[in-house]
Order: sequence, then structure tokens, then C-alpha cells
Amino acid sequence: MRGSLRRVAWLALLAAGAAAASSPAPSGARAASGAGSDAGASDAGASDAGASESASQSAEPSPRPGLLEPLAAPMVAPLPAVEPDPALAPVIAGSDSAAAPQPVAPAERPGVVIRTILGLLALMVLAYLGGHRRVLAWEKRLGISQVITAGFPFVLLGMLARSSSVGILSDPILAELSPLLRLGLGWIGFVAGIRFDTRMFQGLPARTARIVTLTTLFPFVFLVGASAALLFAFSDQAFQPGDPVFLRDALILGTAGAMAAVSSTRSLQRESRSVVSRVIRLEELAGVIGLAFVAAFFRPQGASWQMPGTAWVLLTIGLGATAGLLVYAILQRQPEGADFVVLTLGSISFAAGAASYLLLSSVVVAFIAGVLLANFPGGYHDRLREILFRLERPILLLSLVIVGALWQVGDWRGWVLMPVFMVLRLAGKWLGTTLALGHAELDLDADERRAIAMPPLGPLAIAIVTNALLLYPGGSISLIVSAVIGGGVLTEVFLQLLSRRRARLSLSPGSG
Amino acid sequence: MQILLVLVLTGLMRALATFDADEQTSAGVSLTLGYLLLSAYFIGGLFKSIGLPKLTGYIATGVLVGPSVLGLVAGPMLGSLRIVNGVAVALIALTAGSELEYRTMRPLFRTIRDITVYGVLGTAALLAIAVYLSRGLLPFMQPLSQSETLVMALVLGVVMVAQSPAVVVALRDEMDAEGPVASTVLGVVVIADLVVILLFALTSSLAKAVLGGGVDMLQTARTLAWELLGSLVAGAVIGYLLGLYLRKVQGGAALFVLLIAFIIAEVGQRLHFDPLLVALAAGMFVRNLTSVGDELHRHIAAPALPVYILFFAGAGANLHLDVLWVVGVPAVLYVLVRAAGLLAGSALGARLAEAPPVVRRYAGFGLLPQAGLALALSMLFAKTFPEFGVEAAALTLGVVGINEVVAPALYRFALVRSGEAGKKQRSLPPAPATPLPEPQPEP
Repeated sequence: MRGSLRRVAWLALLAAGAAAASSPAPSGARAASGAGSDAGASDAGASDAGASESASQSAEPSPRPGLLEPLAAPMVAPLPAVEPDPALAPVIAGSDSAAAPQPVAPAERPGVVIRTILGLLALMVLAYLGGHRRVLAWEKRLGISQVITAGFPFVLLGMLARSSSVGILSDPILAELSPLLRLGLGWIGFVAGIRFDTRMFQGLPARTARIVTLTTLFPFVFLVGASAALLFAFSDQAFQPGDPVFLRDALILGTAGAMAAVSSTRSLQRESRSVVSRVIRLEELAGVIGLAFVAAFFRPQGASWQMPGTAWVLLTIGLGATAGLLVYAILQRQPEGADFVVLTLGSISFAAGAASYLLLSSVVVAFIAGVLLANFPGGYHDRLREILFRLERPILLLSLVIVGALWQVGDWRGWVLMPVFMVLRLAGKWLGTTLALGHAELDLDADERRAIAMPPLGPLAIAIVTNALLLYPGGSISLIVSAVIGGGVLTEVFLQLLSRRRARLSLSPGSG
Repeated sequence: MQILLVLVLTGLMRALATFDADEQTSAGVSLTLGYLLLSAYFIGGLFKSIGLPKLTGYIATGVLVGPSVLGLVAGPMLGSLRIVNGVAVALIALTAGSELEYRTMRPLFRTIRDITVYGVLGTAALLAIAVYLSRGLLPFMQPLSQSETLVMALVLGVVMVAQSPAVVVALRDEMDAEGPVASTVLGVVVIADLVVILLFALTSSLAKAVLGGGVDMLQTARTLAWELLGSLVAGAVIGYLLGLYLRKVQGGAALFVLLIAFIIAEVGQRLHFDPLLVALAAGMFVRNLTSVGDELHRHIAAPALPVYILFFAGAGANLHLDVLWVVGVPAVLYVLVRAAGLLAGSALGARLAEAPPVVRRYAGFGLLPQAGLALALSMLFAKTFPEFGVEAAALTLGVVGINEVVAPALYRFALVRSGEAGKKQRSLPPAPATPLPEPQPEP
């Protein structure tokens, strides 16, 4: 069994390598992108509608068709080439785009030393307080532990460190830390994939598929609709439903909104928790598929290897499978301790980097690799999970610091989107659950229904929008990031208030 | 199997390169980091299987995939490893500092002093003499007068004698070595690091004055005091904070240590501190003035291996093999003079200090490797004396390059022959896991 599996693995690797090597970069595509790029650049600073306009301009056929250029018209018009937002440029262009950190002038040195020491002391005090039992009890009493768990303070820390008054996360530093963000996205995708052991779906109740479909579909549709309405309201241009920029943004917002956190099942009994968390895992799968679709069909114009969207989907799957098989072959060496950490870090960084390099989603590619590893035979599963889960939190938190540094809160439209996102997402989840369980054979109590209908946002949603930010670093994506991060925090606060109110009502004398 | 994996990874890198993406993007950096980490790990394993240090394998990987040979890792991507290098140097110095316990090092002080004087200072003088005598081989020395040649020879002697605490610490960890040779070599390279920085500042100021550039001695003294004393004081403060954290805060220590290393590398550099000295002082403070030295050592070990691999692979990729063709003959000559001086000087110093025979015989091998400090000094030399052009920098980089590739194998040989390899007691408990995320229900 293992021998044949290996043979298949090597064949797949060779095939993937050969396919990739035989895909020349058409020079015509590059040349054609020049004009579009300029147009896109000028539009980037304007508005989404402006970008949309440039999309329709740049959707004209390339004057020099490349070898792999689709013969038929693409399903989705190419996106306009948009210059990276200046605030995002360091993480896109890498460290060479910015000068190395400048030395501090002698007169300013004492101030920098004092600020650094004070910063370290503050961090220590935070860490000390964060682990103190009284503080933990206080958090529990106030019901803010989920907000803390979601890592919002780290997002704030990133924003603070990026601000000009603090200046720790300057452009050069951010540029040098940017690979960490891509590694973090790959890690989150890999962890989600490794949890996707197909055996956990055995014996699922018959109506689970319906629940997953409806609880994913309704928030998705609501959010896509809201995007259309808000785009129409925010824009002074005529609204075009086929505009690729609008379609992309709406799909990303809808996909992120469909995600839920497994933490919503914490209060449930173990057995039912298992069913509910499996529903949430399936929702994650839907999210990953959505992101894969967006990354494959909404390609920035001017990128190399002109291929139809379906080919990009296949390449995404192939790359994920190659990464999975590669890691599988590596893990057959039975590494231990620090060696295991090196191999895991290296494999995920390679997979995430390869995906990002091809302008594909690193979350999706790492997810596919994780799913394969979760389902291949071998004795590595427990050790791999242990390493992945042990480093998941530090990597996620460090990524959130960088996300915070990139978060642009200056645009009022982002603030408008936050509550809209929260309300429509929860409404969609609630409606989907109500419809799915209306005539259900599933025996779920009120808590279990609530866990499906009113879940907080999971880390995969943050990963999806951050990945989108890296894939499309300009224009309206920053609004989507604001909506999802801010909406996620609002959701948690709202749900905590709701649960406290429910607890108060259940304790009141008249409640029976 | 390892070769096959490296070939597959390399094939994928070549295939991805046809995508024609801008190599400077951070996506390319992430890809490069993963590729370097995996391929250097496997090639390190191959080197170990043929009796060479893994570390040499990491460096060789960097040379192979770097701009000089295959070009899979391009120059701009190497620039983005700067932060990894900084963190690696800080972690290595923290490790070294956390092992310099006054109580156990005290009996070795005399040996360390004598080896530093006769081995390191003696070799610096010997190299200066060699440069002076062989000035005919060095085109950039031709226009200089007698006195100018002499001071430049002194500067070059100091630049070329620098050791590598990084290689010494990494090799000792890799070989699980423990004993008088490993301890003495660690002590000497740490002290020599201070001495070389001091000597470079003095000789380069002197050279500037002789070459007519003029020099403000007061300013030089002030700069030196800030760099050396400031680094030591900053290290003590950071050591105090580290100790406080390890004693008072539960969890997240590995992350905090990494953060400290990052701050030492980034902020320290901007403040003109020597990151190596800052981290060394911090490690020594924790080891000697707190009770959490073992804990610090354990928490450094957790993130150390990936950082070391990237550091040494990056150092290999930064080697410019092309310069060796230009300055090959004098570079090989100075490598031989340096080796002879360090081996003979250490043997002499150890004999005068009445060190055990094993130290007399093998300690000199630990002084041969060069890496971070030597590279930094070479670059500083090029920056300080731009009038000598790229040839002078190429000479010092060539010497570092040869020592970087060859010397770790020699030190490994010495550790094996001295019987100290594999002797390290594994008495420390394994590092506690970083706090797990809140338990997530699994079906």
C-alpha cells in the first residue's frame, strides 16, 4: 500500500514539475499589461468605481496572444492592474523596495533606549496580567475572553506599532516581516486542512449537507447583496453587476462571512459538539473553495502564465497535492524534535510561498496539502498535529500584529461596512439554520442551534481577507478587511452581550 | 532519498522561476525561505553522513543555490534575510552568554587570556607582517607610502584575524560537545570578539589619520565607549528584563526570547550597539546573576535550529566565489598564515598557561572558523576605506569565504579527536511546549 502510494506520489510530483516547467511566460502578456497597469495605477487612488471603469478598458484582447492564452472569452473579465496601496507596498514588494532602517542620531538615542525598555516592560506587564488568574476570572465574568482569543489586541498592537509616533513597524521592518504573514496564512490553511480527516464525516446525520449549504449560502447571498447595494451607494458611477472588481469583492466578503469559529461550540455537550463542529468544518471547506475560485478566476492583468480560470483551479489543486506529497515524503524520514519543527516550517513556507508566487491563495494550497496529510496513512499524524497546534497560536498572533499594521481604518466606508457585515452575516446564519432545521430530523437543543445560527467569526475568515489583501493589494480590498476584522469583533461583543442577557433572564425570579 | 528530495525541491524552484514574477516580492522571499530551510537541512544531513559538520552542509547549500552558482536565490532575496541574520546572531550570542558561568569559567581564565594574547593578537600581528611583505601581490597597496602601507597592513591584519562565535556555538551544539577545549574556545572567541572590535576602531582611526583623512580621537573614543560600554549596559538591562520575565511570567517565554533577539538585532543596530555584545551580556547576566539560566538556554533551543540553518545558508549564499578568482593567491596565502598563527599561538598560550594537553593540541582549531563578525568587519573596512576600491574588500571577503567553508570541518575534527564530541550531558529537561491555543473541540 505504502509503496504504491509513494510511486503515485513521485509520478504526481514529476508531472507537476514538468507541467510547470513547460509553461513559458508569454512576453506578449507582459507587454500588453503595461498600458493596463498605468491605467490601473491611476485608478487605484480614486474609487472602486474608477477601478471598475479601468477594468472594462483593460479587458480588451491582448495584441500578442501567448501560448497558453485562452481561445474562448474568459468567464470573468481580467482585473485591472492596480498599483499596490502605498501602505501595503512593503509587504508586497519585499525588503528591497525600502531602504534599510536608518541609524538613530546620537541626540535621539537615549529617547529610543527609554522607549524600547518601556515597551518591553509594558509587554511584560501585559503578559503577566494576561496569565494572572484574577485577570482571567475578570475576563470570564465580563465575557470578553473570545474577543481576546480572537487576537484583536494584537491587531491593535500592530496598528500602534505602525503609527508614526511609535514607528517600530516601519516600512523596512514590515517588509522584512512580510514572509511571516504569508507563512501565517499557510499555517492557518494547513491547520484547517489537517483537521479535515474524512473519517470525521462518517455517520453524519442526513440533513447535515442541507444545514451546511443553507448556513453558508444565506450569509453569502446577503453579504453579496449588501456589497452591491453599498457599492452602488458609495459610487458616483453607474453600477455594473458584471464588473470584475465588484464581483471579486462581493465573493470575498461573502466567503469570509460564511465562516464560523469552532469556539462557538465550547459550551455544548461533547457529543453534540462533535456534530456542530463538523458542520463548521464543512463550512470552512466551502470558504476554502470560494477563495480558490476567486484566486483562480480573478487574476490580475499582466501576471505571467496566461491561462483560463479552470486551469488555475487545476494548478491550485496540483500545487496543493504536490506540496502534500512532498511533505508526506519528508515525514517518512521520521524526524524528531527540532528537526520536525524545521521540516514543518520549511514545508509550509515553501507551499505558501509557491502559491503566493503564482498569485494563488496560500491558504488554499496549504489547506489541500493538509487535507492530504490528514488522510494519508502513516505514523506522523499525532506529532504533526502537536507541532502545528503548538505553533498555531504564536504564528497567528504574530500575523495579526502585521495585519493590524496593514489595517487602514481611515476610510469611513470601512466603518459603515462593519455593522452591516455583522448584522447581515448573523441574519443569514440564523435564517439558514432556521430553514435547515425547520423540519429537521436532527435532534438539536437550543444551545446547539444557537452555536450554528449565531457563531463568532473564525480565524479562517481573517486569513481569507488577509490573503485577498495580499493577492489584490489595492483599491477596495482594504474596505473588505475593515469590514471583516471590525465586523468580527463587533459580532463577538454582540454575542457576549446576548449570552449575558440570556443568562440574566434565566436567573431572574420570573423566568421559571 | 535526501538527494531526491533536494532535486525535487530544486526542480520545483526552477519551474516556478519560469513564472517570471518579480523576484523582489515578499512571496518570493517566503518561497526562498522554505526552499533554503528544506534543502539546507537535507544537504546538512548528507554532509553529516560523510563525516562533515552539518553546518558546512548548510553553508555549501547557500553557495550552491546562491547567485554564484545556480542563482536560485537571487541577491535581493538574500537582502531580505537580513532580519534572520540579525536574530540568529542575537540568539547565538544569548546562547554563548548563557553558558559563560563565572564559577566554571574561572579556572580557564588564564588559558583564555594567554591564548587571546598569543593566538589572536599574535596572529593579527603575523597577518599584518604578511600583508606588508606581500604588498606586491596587492594592487591597491601599490600607490601607498611606507608608513601608509604599514598602517593598512595593521588594519587588514585585524580584519582578517576575526573569529566566529556563531560557528563555535553552533558546532558545539551540533556535536553535543563539552569539555575544556569547547569551553576554552568559547571563552576565547567571545573575548577575541571584544578585542577585535576595539582594535579595528583603533587601527582604522590611526590609518585614517596617516592617510590624511584626519581623525578626531575624542570622537573615536566616544563612539567606541558607546559601542562597547553602551552594548554591555544595554545587555545587562535586557538580561534583567529577561530574568524578570522568566521568573514572573508563565508561558510565552520562547516568543519573548525571540522578540528580545529581534529588538537586539533591529533597535540595537540602529543605536550603534554591537548586537553580539548586547546579547552576550544579556545571556551572561541571566546565567550569573539570576537563577533562570538553564530556563533561558532551554527556551533559546526551541527556535534556534531553523534560525541557524537560515543564517548559515544565507552566509553561504552571500559568498562571492567570483572574487576568489581575482584575489585567489593572496587570499590563500593569508588563510594559511592565519591558520598557522592561530594554531601555533594557541598552543603556545595554552602551554604557558599550563592548560591540559588536549587544549594545547586542539583549541587553536576552534579559532579558525569565520562568519558573521568577519563578514561585517570586511564590509566595514570597505566602507571606511572606499579609496581602496572593491579589490581590498574582495581580499578580506575571499579570506572569510575560504575559512567559512573549510574551517568548521577542522573544528569538528578537533572536537572528535579531543574526545569532547557527544559528551554534553543531556540533563536539561525538554523545553515546555508553548501554551496551546484554547482547546478546540474536535469531533
